[in-house]
Amino acid sequence: MIQRRTFLRGSGYGVGAIAFKSLLEREAAAAKVERWRGVIDKPHVPVKARRVIHLCMAGGPSQFDCFDWKPKLKELHGKPFPESLTKGQQLAQLQGQTLIARGPFMPFKKWGKSGQEISEAFPHIGSIADRICIIRSMHTEQINHDPAHAFMNAGSIIKGRPSMGSWLLYGLGAETENLPGFVVMVSIGRSSDQPISSRQWSAGFLPSKFQGIQFQSKGDAVHYVGRPDGVTAPLQRQIVEEVQKLDALSFTQRKDPEIQTRISQYEMAFRMQSSVPELTDFAKEPQHVLDMYGIKEPGDGSFASNCLLARRLAERGVRFIQLYHRAWDNHSNLEADFPKAAKQTDQACAALVKDLEQRGMLDDTLVIWGGEFGRTPMGQGTGRDHPIISFSIWLAGAGIKGGLTWGRTDELGYKYITDGQEVSVHDLHATMLHLCGIDHHRLSVRFQGLDQKLTGVEECKVVKGILV
Amino acid sequence: MHGATLAFLVSLAAAAAPKKVQFNRDIRPILSENCFFCHGPDKSKRKAGLRLDVREAALEDGAIVPGKPGDSELIARINTKDPDDVMPPPLSHKTLKPQQVAMLTRWIADGAAYQPHWAYVPVRKAKTPATRDQAWGKTPVDAFVQAALDERDVRPSAPADRRTLLRRLSLDLTGLPPTPEELTAFTADTRPDAWEGQVDRLLASPHYGERMAVPWLDVARFADTVGYHGDQNQHVLAYREYVINSFNRNKPFDQFTIEQLAGDLLPKPTTEQLIATGFNRLNMVTREGGAQAKEYLAKYMADRVRAVGTVWMGSTLGCSECHDHKFDPFTARDFYAMGAFFADVKQWGVYSDYKYTPNPDLKGFTNDYPFPPEITVESPYLKARSQRLQAELGTLADQLRARLAASRDETREFRSWQDGTRRFLAQYPDGWRPAPALPEKKQATGMVRIAPGSGWLSAIRIDLATPPDYKGPDAELGRKIGVVSVSVTHNDQAIRFHFADSATKEPHYLGGHEQAGIASGWVVPRAKAGQTRTGVWELAQPVRVGIGDTLTVTLKGEAVGTVKVFTSPFATFGTQAPSRLAAGKRFAAKGRVLDEVYLLSTGWAKDEARRFQDVHRQLAELRGGLTPTLVTQTVTPYTTRLLPRGNWQDDSGPVVDPATPQFLPAPVNPDKRRLTRLDLARWLVSRDNPLTSRTLVNRIWKHLFGAGLSPQLDDLGAQGEPPSHPDLLDWLAADLVESGWDIKRLVRLIVTSSVYRQDSTARPELREVDPANRLLARQSQRRLDAEFVRDNALFAANLLNLEIGGPSAFPYQPAGYLENLEFPKRDWYAEKDERQYRRGLYTHWQRTFVHPMLANFDAPSREECTADRPPSNTPQQALTLLNDPTFVEAARVFAQNLLVLKDLDDATRIGRAFERGLGRPAKPDETASLLKLLGAHREHYGQHIEDARKLVAVGIAPRPELDAAEHASWTSVCRVILNLYDAVTRL
Repeated sequence: MIQRRTFLRGSGYGVGAIAFKSLLEREAAAAKVERWRGVIDKPHVPVKARRVIHLCMAGGPSQFDCFDWKPKLKELHGKPFPESLTKGQQLAQLQGQTLIARGPFMPFKKWGKSGQEISEAFPHIGSIADRICIIRSMHTEQINHDPAHAFMNAGSIIKGRPSMGSWLLYGLGAETENLPGFVVMVSIGRSSDQPISSRQWSAGFLPSKFQGIQFQSKGDAVHYVGRPDGVTAPLQRQIVEEVQKLDALSFTQRKDPEIQTRISQYEMAFRMQSSVPELTDFAKEPQHVLDMYGIKEPGDGSFASNCLLARRLAERGVRFIQLYHRAWDNHSNLEADFPKAAKQTDQACAALVKDLEQRGMLDDTLVIWGGEFGRTPMGQGTGRDHPIISFSIWLAGAGIKGGLTWGRTDELGYKYITDGQEVSVHDLHATMLHLCGIDHHRLSVRFQGLDQKLTGVEECKVVKGILV
Repeated sequence: MHGATLAFLVSLAAAAAPKKVQFNRDIRPILSENCFFCHGPDKSKRKAGLRLDVREAALEDGAIVPGKPGDSELIARINTKDPDDVMPPPLSHKTLKPQQVAMLTRWIADGAAYQPHWAYVPVRKAKTPATRDQAWGKTPVDAFVQAALDERDVRPSAPADRRTLLRRLSLDLTGLPPTPEELTAFTADTRPDAWEGQVDRLLASPHYGERMAVPWLDVARFADTVGYHGDQNQHVLAYREYVINSFNRNKPFDQFTIEQLAGDLLPKPTTEQLIATGFNRLNMVTREGGAQAKEYLAKYMADRVRAVGTVWMGSTLGCSECHDHKFDPFTARDFYAMGAFFADVKQWGVYSDYKYTPNPDLKGFTNDYPFPPEITVESPYLKARSQRLQAELGTLADQLRARLAASRDETREFRSWQDGTRRFLAQYPDGWRPAPALPEKKQATGMVRIAPGSGWLSAIRIDLATPPDYKGPDAELGRKIGVVSVSVTHNDQAIRFHFADSATKEPHYLGGHEQAGIASGWVVPRAKAGQTRTGVWELAQPVRVGIGDTLTVTLKGEAVGTVKVFTSPFATFGTQAPSRLAAGKRFAAKGRVLDEVYLLSTGWAKDEARRFQDVHRQLAELRGGLTPTLVTQTVTPYTTRLLPRGNWQDDSGPVVDPATPQFLPAPVNPDKRRLTRLDLARWLVSRDNPLTSRTLVNRIWKHLFGAGLSPQLDDLGAQGEPPSHPDLLDWLAADLVESGWDIKRLVRLIVTSSVYRQDSTARPELREVDPANRLLARQSQRRLDAEFVRDNALFAANLLNLEIGGPSAFPYQPAGYLENLEFPKRDWYAEKDERQYRRGLYTHWQRTFVHPMLANFDAPSREECTADRPPSNTPQQALTLLNDPTFVEAARVFAQNLLVLKDLDDATRIGRAFERGLGRPAKPDETASLLKLLGAHREHYGQHIEDARKLVAVGIAPRPELDAAEHASWTSVCRVILNLYDAVTRL
């Protein structure tokens, strides 16, 4: 266990031993919560974002029906898709099929002063068009959901790599002593959609304290946060204190500093038992706020309710918040299901941005909206398949230029255009870290012989053009 | 963990007099960390054509001038202030510490001697060194460790006390703590070989194999589900049993290796050897629609190479998937040549058949289907369970027979039923009465109305036949599989069935498992399409049919054909059972069958009948103890190409044949035939291979000390850490091979050493010198691995189920935890019997969502080969121990076990609880403190009896009659004990 601590502190030569000594000198019984403050002492670059909210549109929303207006594709609707574009390229469920163009079915509109083009399925997001930056030139390396999620979250398809939230928490720590620093929520009310895996918020080879904690939509928000039946808060407090007291006695004999850490973790655990219910209690949220998000039943596990919870988490110092909405895998029935998914998310996404802004938090909160990939301009029956080399996302908040559309795809939207504005998943990671004050080259951990980074081994870039 | 090494090296440098610089220990880590990325083995990224990993090359370029640091460009470059020239370049954000610069300078001054990397040179058994204190430890292990301590003037620690020692040994070798009785016996044992006696006892325990299996299951990436996307269930429990049994029987590790990688290629492989080949099938696989087989085959191959690299070679071969290794001499070609060994494994890239990616081999596969190829084997656990259930039926029948005999009324009823039965059998000797269809004005398709005749109705049989002149859908049976489902109403009331079966059915899968019976209908196998298909339906509760009552049988399906319906007053089980009754004479005799039949066929003893049905269903599912298991089957190998930059779509790379890494001694292959997995396995355990024995010894050392002699268990390469005691590692590795790969001998050697038996208390004077305890001047305190955290709490409560092997179990788990899984949807039904308390290593391992208790305590998802579990220390662990119903129930039962002991005062009870839960007596201040807590909780629960009742109601374990307030208060005490550091730590 000692190696563990030195590992964590040991970002530099010999630091381990020094940090170790100062820890030992602490009073053993002090029931203090020792918050992880991150391995990055001084930011590498100026900090713009103090927290990140990732609205993960799992399944891959169709960019042609939200943010990437393609009139040419509309003209080609129902006609064969030019083979020149697709030849030799990887396809998913369209393998071996005749490729037919599917035009956008939602009308697009120019919104705000910036005139960003957004489809009418997203009127609320349209209303914040001047605050968001749309990137149309995203591309990924993985064409199937499982590895694409892994790549989007951990920058690698090899399992056991830390997710981006874990990296941030490891690097920067959290600003809360009462809540986990990395929280994940999955909206309920959708079924028969693409599965997701807890590896998407796994700490991988980092210590498990950096993993995302999934707040459950049913039962206790956090696993085992509820006291056993018949145990009141004061009784539980006594038990926790007794454990701390007896452990402190053990420390005098065993002298293992892990005991002190443990005493502090029991304190944090106890605090979570009151802070989590307080967090999830929406009673103090005024009606107009609930209305702004479009929340029908507070705490119902809907995307809207989770968005409000995300704001509450952000207020309380949580570093990385990830919301999943598993509704976008429209292989079929696109024209019915896509607007439904848009309706479930549009208002709350916009409300979150506005709410953060009203509270003065948008300046230092980065909001990322997007799927693990997008969809093909070729139809697949009544839907679209998933592509690999073009999709759209948007960013808002901390250090992001609002009202900007970045990057282009070809006139049928099949592939990004190489004009210096193309953005890879690793570029997105590098940019996110940059906004958080981190040079992505310098947040690394040695694992299996390599200095592993969120952004992998290949060169990637911070997308400076979208930054203020 | 690199920080630890550096701290270690620095502190050793500070603590000890300067010794001769050693390349492997002192120099290679610096060069690897700072230089090899651009000046190492990977030619594609090499800068300025300079490489520093090979002496000749470094000398040729003048980077190093032996004996003349002042003339060496390397030294000039690391010392310059010019940002354009300085090395490492500023962009790398790496800087050399003054000590490192001094070390490099000294090394060059001394002549810049290189050493081949320690892990790749032949294993050498050095002479055990002389030590100052010969009496301290007598084993070679002691000699090597003590010699290193002597060099630094450090004394080893005193031995731990006997209780601590026995608990340490029991936990390390079996994962179970000692019982208070075992502790007493050992502390009283004055024989000189008392310790060795305990070692031998525990090595012989059947739980030894379970403890040793856990780290092996981590590296084998053993899990119950396939991992990718829908994360469906797979069958592989027999492999886990194989691993446990192999450790228990002390199977030589070379044989263990060969069986797993290539058991199927051995001459006349045994079933056991085939089960072992499940290893090659434990990579994650997918069934995702839209996945491309070729892409996934590349992923599966890469996974296997990484796994073999980690498990046997302690090497990070994965780095070479896209390019030559940057730090170690593995090339990309080595990576694919290793992958080519597995090109013959029968598998599919995508385990399904989609219209956009047809896979005729797996036609008709759904998300509920298993993952072939599998074989069916016997599981001793399942067989024993099956026998136990049979015995339970016997006991139940005996009890009922006694009850029948004791009650005059019931006997009379029974007699009259017997008489009726005899009459029925005289008329219908096979037990089935034909029930012709009633004439109907309007006959709906598939609907038959019958008059079953009065009396008990317990079973219905339906015969489906295809008349020769039939032209309906049935005629298509030759190429279409008919699906038939049945529903029955009695006077318009739906009849419920508890079981149905047919001898002519296609297997039906749910969640990957073949379902017993045909309750919801059945699929007629193509081959039997023309024959009469019979199904038998057993009523959940027998129905008394009155005169004139009718039954309506509705059949839905594409292939119904003509229908004949039979009824029976005898409830039997499955299709076999009616024939048991065929002989009317036998039936008249007294016997078990008779009682069973009476029990199930009438309204008599309803509760027992339900239990009978339940057990019967379980027996049907157990199939006499048979279970399918994933195996490796060999097919013609597909062509393996080197994939440029790991890109599976790029076919431009050269074809590679199976081969072992070029820089290591090659397998003997005079006739140049294509090498096989068997060659690979034999090569891994050949005497010439320096990596396997070192890797294994290092992992076992970690098991017994908390850290490997080389702490990076999965990287013995340049970027790993040199071993703290290289001669010891080599001595043990050599001895292991000489002994015929005898693992128990290795474990015994280590645990009988004085090094192992030292006290684990951290020593203040060593904190600065040796914070990571690499000198081994004490034992280490280790948090138990996740599975054993669970086992220990259940053991304290005497709830732990000590059965070995068998399928994975489903302990309590928070509701909805699997709700984000799809294809198919998943739910979790917590076990309701003794299986609730199975050991942690049998927990259902859902790769995408590992049980939160296990995950919180750092159990890996086993999606990837995992050699180490770095323990963390988190609030989630505290929450788990405080609130997970498993632990609350354990405390509740622990408390009741204390309370049923009569005439003990509170302090004595607390003492007993410590003995049982922590393996040691309570100290006076601990007792005093807990007595106060007990008092406070008594006060609360005395006044709030409802709270007490709620607390003690946790869990399914039985509860004796106890005062609820007292029970709840003691539950609090036990919760504290189970939450303590000492409870979850092996000291």
